[in-house]
Parts: sequence; C-alpha cells; structure tokens
Amino acid sequence: MPSQDVLPEQAVSTPSAARPRKPGRGGASRRPSHWWVPWAFAAPGLILFLLTTGYPLVRSLQISFYNWSVLPTQASTFIGLDNYIRALGDPQFWTSVVNAGVYLLMSVPATVALGLFFAILLQKKMPGRTLFRVLFYIPVVTSWVVVSLLFKFLFTTDNGAVNWFITDFFSFSDHAVPWLEQRWTGLIAISLLGIWKNLGWCLVVLLASLGGVGEELYEAAALDGANAWHKFVHVTLPGIRGTLLFVLVLQVIGAFNVFPSVLLMTNGGPAGSTEVPLTYMYKQAFSFLDFGYGSAMSFILAIFIFIVSFAQFKFLGEKKETLR
Amino acid sequence: MTTTSLQPKSLREADIAGGNERSKRPLNAWLLVRVAIILCGAVMMVAPFLIMVSTSLEPNTATLPNPPHFLPQNLTPANYEEAWTENNFAGFFGNSAYVSVLTTVASVVISSMTAFAFARFDFPLKNLMFSMLLAGLMIPGIVVIVPQFVLAKSLNMLDSLEGLVFFYTAGQIAFTTFLLRAFFERVPRELDEAMTVDGAGILRKFLVLYIPLARPALATAAVFSFLGAWDEYVWALTVISDATKRTLPLGIAAFQGEHSTAWGLVFAASTLAVIPVIAVYIAGQKHLIAGITTGAVK
Amino acid sequence: MMKKLVTLSSIALLAAAGLTACDTGGGGAQSAAVSTLSSGAAVSGEITFWHAYSAGGGEIKALENTVIPNFEKLHPGVKVKAMQIPDKDMHQKLVTAAAGQSLPDVVRADIVTVPELAKIGVLTPLSEAMPDFQSWADKMFPGPLATNKYNGKSWGLPLDTNTKVVIYNDEALKANGVASVPKTLDELKAAADKVGGKYILAEGGSGAWQMLPYIWSNGGDMTDPDVKKSSGYLNGPKAVAALQMIVDLYNKKAIPGVILGGSGGTPTGDGLPKGMYPTIVDGPWTFPNMATSYPNFHPQTSPMFSGAGGSISVVGGEDIVMTQQSKNKELSAEFIRYMLSPDAQKAMGQVGQLSAEKDMAETMAAIQPYYGAFLEQLKTAKPRPATPQWAKVDDIFTKQAQLALQGKLSAQEAMDAAVAQIDPLLAQG
Repeated sequence: MPSQDVLPEQAVSTPSAARPRKPGRGGASRRPSHWWVPWAFAAPGLILFLLTTGYPLVRSLQISFYNWSVLPTQASTFIGLDNYIRALGDPQFWTSVVNAGVYLLMSVPATVALGLFFAILLQKKMPGRTLFRVLFYIPVVTSWVVVSLLFKFLFTTDNGAVNWFITDFFSFSDHAVPWLEQRWTGLIAISLLGIWKNLGWCLVVLLASLGGVGEELYEAAALDGANAWHKFVHVTLPGIRGTLLFVLVLQVIGAFNVFPSVLLMTNGGPAGSTEVPLTYMYKQAFSFLDFGYGSAMSFILAIFIFIVSFAQFKFLGEKKETLR
Repeated sequence: MTTTSLQPKSLREADIAGGNERSKRPLNAWLLVRVAIILCGAVMMVAPFLIMVSTSLEPNTATLPNPPHFLPQNLTPANYEEAWTENNFAGFFGNSAYVSVLTTVASVVISSMTAFAFARFDFPLKNLMFSMLLAGLMIPGIVVIVPQFVLAKSLNMLDSLEGLVFFYTAGQIAFTTFLLRAFFERVPRELDEAMTVDGAGILRKFLVLYIPLARPALATAAVFSFLGAWDEYVWALTVISDATKRTLPLGIAAFQGEHSTAWGLVFAASTLAVIPVIAVYIAGQKHLIAGITTGAVK
Repeated sequence: MMKKLVTLSSIALLAAAGLTACDTGGGGAQSAAVSTLSSGAAVSGEITFWHAYSAGGGEIKALENTVIPNFEKLHPGVKVKAMQIPDKDMHQKLVTAAAGQSLPDVVRADIVTVPELAKIGVLTPLSEAMPDFQSWADKMFPGPLATNKYNGKSWGLPLDTNTKVVIYNDEALKANGVASVPKTLDELKAAADKVGGKYILAEGGSGAWQMLPYIWSNGGDMTDPDVKKSSGYLNGPKAVAALQMIVDLYNKKAIPGVILGGSGGTPTGDGLPKGMYPTIVDGPWTFPNMATSYPNFHPQTSPMFSGAGGSISVVGGEDIVMTQQSKNKELSAEFIRYMLSPDAQKAMGQVGQLSAEKDMAETMAAIQPYYGAFLEQLKTAKPRPATPQWAKVDDIFTKQAQLALQGKLSAQEAMDAAVAQIDPLLAQG
C-alpha cells in the first residue's frame, strides 16, 4: 500500500532504520468516535462525485449495451454485448491500444524520471531557483491545442525545425525525416510532446513531496557516512514512495488517455496507424454517432488501465522490500 | 504542541541527495554542474514557448513561420491590442478568473475533507468508495460527456458560470482527494495522539494539525485545480452557448477559423492566458517547499 | 489493491444489473407534423443562431455588426443571438445539444452534415415548412442545392458555397522548367516528369474532398446517381486510374507528403507562395490568407485539371437549416429568408462568403476579382454524395487511399476494399 509514515524518532537512528515502517493501519486512532464522523467529512466530496461522475458513468455503461440513438425521442435497441464483441474483433481498436502502450512506454518512464531528477536538483538552494521552477512549469500551463500545433510545426518534414537540426545543423542525415507521415516516428514525436508537457507536472508534485521528507533522516544518513546515492535510495525514495506511485499511476492513466496531441499532430493517420483509443472513440461517438460502440471501447480500455495500475501497485509494493 | 521535529533552519535547507555542501562552499563545482544541467533542461522547456511569444509579437499572419522564430522579427504589440479589445476578451478573462477561483476554493475545501476521512478513519464501504474515485480517474471524460450534459441540463446548469464551477469542482475531487490522502497518511500518529491527550476533538485536529501539515499538498492541489479550471475547453464548449459567458479557452479557440488561423492573435491570447496561472504557481510554490515539519512547530 | 479491483468489478456488475430499471427514451419515429410557416407575417421574440464563421477574415464582424442589426431593424422587437462555434467543434456541439434537447433555432451547417442531421431527426424540412421554399430553391446553383436532399425532402437551403480551382505560382513553375500551368491531367503527368524529383502539385489530404475532383475529371465517380452503391463506380477503371495517377506522382516525389493527412508537411497555402509547391488545388479562402501572410505574392488561377470527364471540381460550403426543437419557427424562417436576401448575401460576400444564388454571381464577381474563376468552376462542380453515412464513408475512403499511397495496397485493391465497406453503409440509407 502506498501509505507510509516517517516518524520523528527514526531521525536519530541509522539510515537503515529510516526504512518505511510497516504502516500501522487499523490502529485504535483510526476508529471514529461516532460512526457518522468519517461520513460527515467525506459526504460533500462523495455526493458531488457520485452525482457528476458516478451517475454519468452508469449511464454510459448502459449506452454501451445499446445501439444508441442520439435523440432521446428515438428508440435505442438493446444489443447486449455486441459492441464489446465488435471492439475485441476490430483491428483498428487493437492498433490504437498498442499505440497507447507504445506511447506509455516511450513517455511515462522518461517523464517521471526526469521530473524526479529535476525536482531533486531544484529542491536545493541555488541562484534563480524560483525562476527555473517557473520555467519548468510553463509547458504545463500552456494549452494542449497551442503546444500540439507548435510541435506539429517543429516536426514538419520540409523546413521543420527538428529536421533542420538533423540535416543542416548536426548533419546526422541527408534526408529529412517524414516524422508525422509514418507510424513509429509519429509516435516518437507525440511521445516527446508528452514528456515535455508533463514533466513540469511531475516535478511540482514530487517537489511538494520531497519537502515532506524529514531533514533529520538525511542528517542521520550523513552521520552514518552514506553517500548521495545511498541517501537517494534509502531516504529519498522511501520518503516519497507514496507520491511517486501516485504520480506514476496518474501518468499511466494519462498515457492511455492521450488525446489532443494525437488529434492535432497526426489525427490518427496515416491510414489509422497512429490512432490511439481516445481519438478512435471520439471519432466513433461524435463523428459517426456510434455512442454505444465508443462507450464499449472506453470500458474495455478502463479494464486495461486497471490491470496496469494493479501491476504498478504490486511492482512497487515488492520493490519496497528489495530496497533493504 | 509537540516540538519533536523542530530542526535548526540551516539543517532544513541542507541538500537532499548531494553531499553536505554548506560546509564545503564556496568552491563548489557540483553547484556549477547542477546549474548547467538545470539550464539545459530549462532551455528545452522554454524553447517552444519562446516561439509562441515571438510569433505573438510579430505582425499577424495566417500561417506559422517555418522554421519558427525564437526571437521576434518586426516587433509590434498589435496582436495584444487586438486580442484584448476584440471579442470581449477582457470579459472572458473575468469569467475564467471567477470560475477558476471558485473552483480552486471549493475543490480544496471539499477534497481535503474527503481525503481526511479516507486517510484518518476506517469506516464501512471505505474501499468501495475509494475504488469508485479511482475509477473516476480512469474513464476518459469524453465518454461521459453526453450523460453529463443531460444531467447539467436537468440541474439547470447550462450557460451558467456557477454550473461550470460545480462540474469543474466535481471533476477535480478524485484527483485532489488522492493527492491529499497521500499526505494526510504521512502525518505522524504521535502528533494526533498528543492532541487527543490535550482533549482536542476531531474537527480541531483536522483544522489545527492535519491541514497545516499538508500545506505543500494543499498548495499543489490548489495550483492544479486552478489550472484545470482555467484551461478546460471541451466541457465549456459543450455547455456554454451564451457569448457573454465564454471562458478564455473558448475565446482563444474562436480565433481559429475554418480555413485559416490568426496565429498572432491565438498566441497573444494564449500568452495572456498563461500569465495568471504562472502567478498562481509562484504564489503556491512558496508553500510547495515548506517542509512538513514547518507546520508541526507552529 | 486486489480487494479494490474486486469491489470495483462488483460495482460494474451491480450497475449492469440495475440497467433494466433505466430506460433509453420513448420509441417510435419523431416525425411530428410540419406546419406551414407563412411568409411575410409579423414575427416577434428571440432566436439563437449557431455558426462557424471565422474571426480572422471579418466574417463575424459582418454578421454581428451589419447583417443581424439590419434584420433586427427590419423586424422591431426581435432578437437574434448569434453564437460562433469553432468549425472543428461544431459537430460535437450539435450532437451533444441534440442529445440534451438544447439545440438552437437556426444553424449554419457544413453541407456534408445536413443529411446526417436530417436522419437523426433534429431538422425541420424546409421544403415542407416554408411555402415559398421552391422560389428560393430555384435561385440556387444545382450543386449546392442538392446537398440539402435526404429522403425525398429538402432540409435546408445553401447559405454560401465554394469550390476549388488550380492555384499556381508562375515563378515556381518556370523555375522548375514548366512553361505554363498544366491544363489537363495528362499535362500534369508530363510536367511531373519534367520537374524530376521536385514537387509539381501539393494536396493537403487524401479524403474525398481532395481526391474526387481527379476522379470526376477523369470520368469516374464515387457512387451511382442515387447514392445507393459504390461498387462499379469507386472501384471502376476510371476512378482507380485517377487514384493510381496520384499514387504514381506521390511515388515519384512530385507530390509532397502532406497528402497523407496533411500533418507532416508544409501546408499547401504556405508552400505555394514560398515556391515549394508550384500548383495547389484550393478554395477562395486561400486568397485573403495568402494576402496577409505573403503580401508580395500574386497567386494565379486555372480551372481544375481536365480529363475524359471534363474539368470537374467539388462543391463546398454551408447550408442554413432550422431545427425541429425551435420554439419560434416563424421567426427562424424569416431569419433564413433574410440571410438569403441580396443584402445579407452581399454583406457576407464582401468578407469571402461566395453566394450560391445564380443571380448574385455578377455582384459577387464585382466584389472580388478572384471570385470569377470559382464561379466559373461552380457551373460544373459536383457535390460529394449526399448520405447520412457520409462521415463513415469518407473515413473509409481516406484510409484506403492512404494505404494505396503508402504502397501497402494497389489502387485497385484499395478501392475494392473501400467499396466492400461503403456499400453496406449506403444500403442502410
């Protein structure tokens, strides 16, 4: 489980003792004084969530079992699992899932690793630190539409800035790379945008988390003669593990849901080879008015995401043990 | 209050992964390397943004300059003047500010309560409820947009800024609850128990102990909530039809025509739109670095 | 985590079980009786109008500062609330609003979406609702008018129209050793051989909007005249030969990669003035765009490359339609009449909106010199097949054409595959 406590008394012990203690869940202090107390705290959020997300989700699940007609005045036909069966046999759907997987592998590890790397560098005092933090955050706040169009221009085949660097500046190659005109290079360009855009987000969350790791732990580790790498592995990583997991899980979910960049950079082309699940679903629902099919695909995708998220919890849970 | 974690200020500012450089300064090559690496990263981060600002400061064109300009040629503020005065842009700015501020306040208040409940207590259906929040993060928004639209209509929330706040806040709940829960769970139980000994009730613990301790997370949640509301496009497009109720992203999208896009205007408007979010980030980031221990000794 | 997954899947099951309790709305067709709306009657009240006019070229200013105020002056007390929706988002917004029963009264809709909107039941058939419909229809060019037909009724009227002609950069042609702009498909092929390795023509995509002019000009077609089947047409020898010609030019690198969806390369309207692309096939909007970005460039026009079928281009543009949900159909009809009146057509013509009315042609040609070439081309231009399934049909065609361009299929194989997918859709109607 991603929870972990950093207790003050551990500060005075050795780095090895700074390892996460087994989370003491279900202790006496976790039991509310009255049954309604936790509900009173949770109610506003849960009610809001259930109303605006839970209910539409159930409706959308319902739609996925229908050949759904857009107009409420027209009848929809119940077709059971037909939309799901159709999706599982649709090669374009599988291509889109594979592309999302490729995007995930190319962008998420790099985004999180670079985010953590720069978060650590930027956590310490240095000249112009605030300015640098702002600069790293700028891509996060710039609209997806604008940056997607910008990257599309950077990767233009003839006269694009990236190709200019490749052919003229560094002379890696004589030929301009048709970045967005073929599958793999297109996915690389989209992944680079993903890394660039999301890095600052990871950085901000991890920076907040690093601030919460007790200094006394580092101090104790230093007294023990630990070097920088040891401190990173034995103090920093365990200290931010919950947040790191949170960042990873959200980035993975985000990768499966990659949308505006693909829509604007390649629009899934050529010949559907860079299609991702959301562009394909969007097309089915809003271009072809096949909402039932679009919903069915989204629930299949949700199952994928579930499996991957589960694997992450599992993997990181075991990792914690091997860190000792 | 406990003072267990009170640390000398200098120690709190000591580095994390590097050596204890405070004592070894000023001759520090490591600092130079660090600055160099960060500088490289920052240049990569900023380059596309420079293109945006440069283009916005050039005479308006229907096509993007290619190769792009990193520095403006023929400097002119015309796009900014036009973007600001045309199409009631100032009004869109006000709408976005109103919606984003209310969303930020509402989502931070509500989700810190929800996160507290999940982090601090065991209660029936807790795992079920938490799984549902998790599911909310996994389903892409466009899939539920039609049912949400029908719901917004029956709640009489079409064409209403408050309606936007309602749905934006709801949309942030899952994310901010996750974020805050991770921080609340890290609050040392000893501090909680010490307050029990002092005779403090749960509400007092929440307000005096947990909230101050989670300040970095609250600041992060606030920054992201603000950004989420400020940048949101698809939902606003779907529910807003009254031209006076448009938010900034709708106003910027309006500069993109069917056959041509006024890039100078789009980029000028986008640059203007980025400024408040950067301001919010600068305001929030002071708290991002405030360590968890700082709150405990207040 | 495992426990959470289990509980979550049980939510899903519970929700599925509970579905029988929900309903998806009433049954039956919605064809409400259409009442006839008298012309010239007093109107009052308020309507909303959705459109995708561009902000850049002054279209919105003309609409909001001239056309609508003039209409409101003609009918004191009425109000038209105009809402601009970006072109790329219009379809999504319309669909969502239809599902939520929140459509506006009048919409300026892209011509290819009208049959689809008619089919899902959100439009009022103007041919039945407006007693003076025929007199308006008679004014229109037949190509744009045909885009409003579905199921034996006419659901809208052409608000503006456009087509594409060959636009060329004379200097770039001469620099590549081509003395004059190719007039026919054969001359185009010959010119491509001459420029050897350099671009002769650029197309911004491989959809029906880009490819049909070649297919039609070569004497081929996409479907039969009733839009019931595509086999024997789209995979017929003339259509396939036209596509094969484009594929050959692409393989010779005489056509740049932008044809694969328009994502990777320099846009056509950018490459032409820069001299990268000597010729493009594009619409009237190119002129004001190039005038702002490349003031020193003077584009020249020539009719669409001709072949066995003549010089046939494609009709674009928008229709004006009235929704079923409109609460003030009298005023909506009156607004539609005004939008089609010489006053409004002229005001919009001044900012780039070409009228689809025959007797406006002279006025239009006088407003902008470059309109002349497009008006001439419009006389033979054809609309894309009017079918509610158009979005899917075009998607299938585009994908197969891209596979042919990439060399993954021959042009014949690609079109055979396209026909096999398109015909079942056309059969659904």
